Amino acid sequence: MRLEKCWFCSSTVYPGHGIQFVRNDAKIFRFCRSKCHKNFKMKRNPRKVKWTKAYRRLHGKDMTQDSTFEFERKRNRPERYDRNVAEKTLIAIKKIDKIRVAREARHHKMRMKGKQAIERQAALTELEKSIDLVKAPASLLQESQITPKIKVKVADTQPQVEHMEE
Amino acid sequence: MLSLFLTRMVLIVGRSLIGSLSNNLLGVKSSHETTGKLTHQCIFSQLRTFIQMRTNLKVVDNSGAKRVMCIQALKGRRGARLGDTIIASVKEAQPRGKVKKGEVVYGVVVRAAMQKGRCDGSEIKFDDNAVVLVNKQGEPIGTRVYGPVPHELRKKKHVKILTLAEHIA
Repeated sequence: MRLEKCWFCSSTVYPGHGIQFVRNDAKIFRFCRSKCHKNFKMKRNPRKVKWTKAYRRLHGKDMTQDSTFEFERKRNRPERYDRNVAEKTLIAIKKIDKIRVAREARHHKMRMKGKQAIERQAALTELEKSIDLVKAPASLLQESQITPKIKVKVADTQPQVEHMEE
Repeated sequence: MLSLFLTRMVLIVGRSLIGSLSNNLLGVKSSHETTGKLTHQCIFSQLRTFIQMRTNLKVVDNSGAKRVMCIQALKGRRGARLGDTIIASVKEAQPRGKVKKGEVVYGVVVRAAMQKGRCDGSEIKFDDNAVVLVNKQGEPIGTRVYGPVPHELRKKKHVKILTLAEHIA
């Protein structure tokens, strides 16, 4: 049993899934589902189709080089079955997956760094430009005319008591 | 089983669609557009079927024949599939070969455009329909086989063809 990679989207093809197309030059194309197969028949280039791994790797959206990928390389030599090795491999697979996911998350974070600052700046400029969408022009005019209240100290005057003249 | 049922349904639906479109009384320009679109769709939704009577097949050995037309599929009511034997008539042959034009020969289907299910659940299909000429005993007439062949032939006991093949799919 072998877990292959889909030629179009690079996802794993599990046993019992997908179609293999053998071209006359003996090149084998494996597809994980009919979506990928139909895109292939349409002669679409996976490097130009946004949702494929090929596009994402090419445009730097996903990690390209990592030591965790070395573990998944295709090996053509069959290994003699050893129970201890199999046990250790299963544990290792879990750990490697965890590390790889953590590294991918870090890569994504690095990619999205600085996005908040840019967004805030863009929001500020937009607010300045299109403030008339939010506030009525009359109120804007009022606001510019209203002078702010200033506290002034006044000299203390004697309270004039008016006596009623009889 | 389900895939066979679905293909039959699609065939029926497809035929009715084509019938209704041709019956439509449209202007010349618009009819051309619709037929254009139909052929465009047809290329993507091409239904590959069995190898039956009148199917042209390519000969991929050096027996001398080039093109062969199936006249009988030996097993299967609907037609032959990948790995089956057929009886065929040679339509085109090379001038100096072991077979001549018009001869009736047996052949083993080594490449079929129709997908064949494998025991692990996946499906395999090739680019064209190709055949290797054999004698009544199942031994190939030619001495070389060109192109990829499936390893379904091993189960059908065509081991000789597998040994001659340059690539086993």
